Amino acid sequence: MDGSGQSTELALTADGLGRAFDDRWAVRGISLAVRRGEVVGLLGPNGAGKTTTVRMLTALIRPTEGTATVDGFDVGADPESVRTRVGILTETPGLYDKLSAAANLDFFGRLYGLTADVRAERIERYLRLFSLWDRRDDLAATFSKGMKQKLAIARALLHDPSVVFLDEPTAALDPEAAFIVREAIETLRKAGRTIVLATHNLDEADRLCDRIAFIRGGLLRIDSPAALRGALDGHGLSVRLREAATSAQVGAVRAVHGVRGAEMGDGVLRVGADEPQSVAPDVIRALVASGADIVEVRPEQASLERVYFEIMGVTPGADSLEDHV
Amino acid sequence: MRRSIVWTVLQREWFETVRNRLLMSTILLPPILLTVAPILLTAAIGASSLPPELEQQVLAQRPEWASFTPGELAGAFAVQQFLVFFLLMPAYIPLSIATFSIIGEKQARSLEPVLAAPIRTSELLAGKAVAALVPGVLAGWMTYAIFVVLASLLYGPALFGVVTDPSWLAGVFLLGPAVGLSSVVAGVIVSARVNDPRVAQQIGGVVIVPVIALVLLQATGTLLVGPVGYTLLAIIVLALSIVGLRIGVRLFDREAILTRWR
Repeated sequence: MDGSGQSTELALTADGLGRAFDDRWAVRGISLAVRRGEVVGLLGPNGAGKTTTVRMLTALIRPTEGTATVDGFDVGADPESVRTRVGILTETPGLYDKLSAAANLDFFGRLYGLTADVRAERIERYLRLFSLWDRRDDLAATFSKGMKQKLAIARALLHDPSVVFLDEPTAALDPEAAFIVREAIETLRKAGRTIVLATHNLDEADRLCDRIAFIRGGLLRIDSPAALRGALDGHGLSVRLREAATSAQVGAVRAVHGVRGAEMGDGVLRVGADEPQSVAPDVIRALVASGADIVEVRPEQASLERVYFEIMGVTPGADSLEDHV
Repeated sequence: MRRSIVWTVLQREWFETVRNRLLMSTILLPPILLTVAPILLTAAIGASSLPPELEQQVLAQRPEWASFTPGELAGAFAVQQFLVFFLLMPAYIPLSIATFSIIGEKQARSLEPVLAAPIRTSELLAGKAVAALVPGVLAGWMTYAIFVVLASLLYGPALFGVVTDPSWLAGVFLLGPAVGLSSVVAGVIVSARVNDPRVAQQIGGVVIVPVIALVLLQATGTLLVGPVGYTLLAIIVLALSIVGLRIGVRLFDREAILTRWR
């Protein structure tokens, strides 16, 4: 139990959270629970309500309906306590260009009430962690975009928050800078930080998140990347053979318990199965027993991109450029 | 309100202000000019005497100047017109700093991380307001002190008496800071609505108009304001500033900044 009497298992909860601007709902019906050390992605297109959700969860704006807590502190009733417990990387780094890297962090350390000793220790720790220590006295204005983003992440961590919110951390960055920032996030993930990552980058969400919440005006679905993929048809095994499988060999595979179907095409035998890893040994045994030479066996999964389109209800290319040419 | 947080904001504001060359030039240059210009002008006018009709008018308004020589009277009349400068300084310097500070943060999108910290809006606004107000008021007072020293050294005790009479003291030390506060308030309100510091300064410059009107009325003899008048004016301006501050605080609301400031 923490100071507010809540379970220490959960760092963040939201129940029916929604926000309207004037008479238009930006987002509503957000309900989720984030465990400590978990990385949860908020995935959705631009304007889906990701930033509004992050702002409500960080007590920057009040929810119109619903509740949310951080460490048991309610974002609406006790916003100041929530702000002391969260760190946020905003869409833009928002650094003070005329201050050095260390001075930027020092300013925020003071706002969070850290003592001089603690500030000095943490500024060094995080600048070293993100390889910025040698540039600590340089003005933020002289930093590249990737370095600015890393400095902003260091700023979000300075007060040792329970939950770190990263809002579009790699948007508008070139591939090299985006790589640097993803590495930084990976470092945090390995360190066991609780992270909420708002992004519309599928690969980023796939690589970094334990669970992904699909948002578009509300919460559409939340699950692990593997479970999300598994929910789609097309889940199975891809078996490459030295020679094309005979009908007898295909029939032997289809007879394996747990296999939904098997089909030969482009030199690869595609095997449909709900639990590919469970059926793989039996499929391999059946093929070998029927005289097939196996070159490679791979689990075949739906891409997160396909999952995204499926959940968002989008048909890619439905209104394609070709239609207008 | 936690003073340590206000002080933190204030220090950062000043740190950035002294590194902003454009802003520093607008802060430093006018006080230098405003110190030298009255002295030179007074020297030029003090060498001659006022036209007889004007002299009679001035003496009718200022009977305490009856013992002055024609040169001293001309100098006293000239120097009297410069009181407005010492009211203008606390007006435009805070306006410049406040608008640069708020619009600069808007443009850099640096307010969101600050608002995400456990800082209260009142603390943030207080830090910014004091950081803008103090340099303007101090510049006005320092320039006035230099002006008094130079006036007394160059033109003798008669002019020293003119520039240190109670109406000057009330104007510089009471109305000046009140005008400065109204200027900060104008800067906050206008900066919440526009995105260009120069536009904000031009619109916020409206607060200077009543000051100029006051001095014009005084110079033409239409309205003579004494120490009590300046004190009352200071109280009125202060009251108006407090009302404006309430509007400013509302415009500076966290949600308004995050969702409406573009």
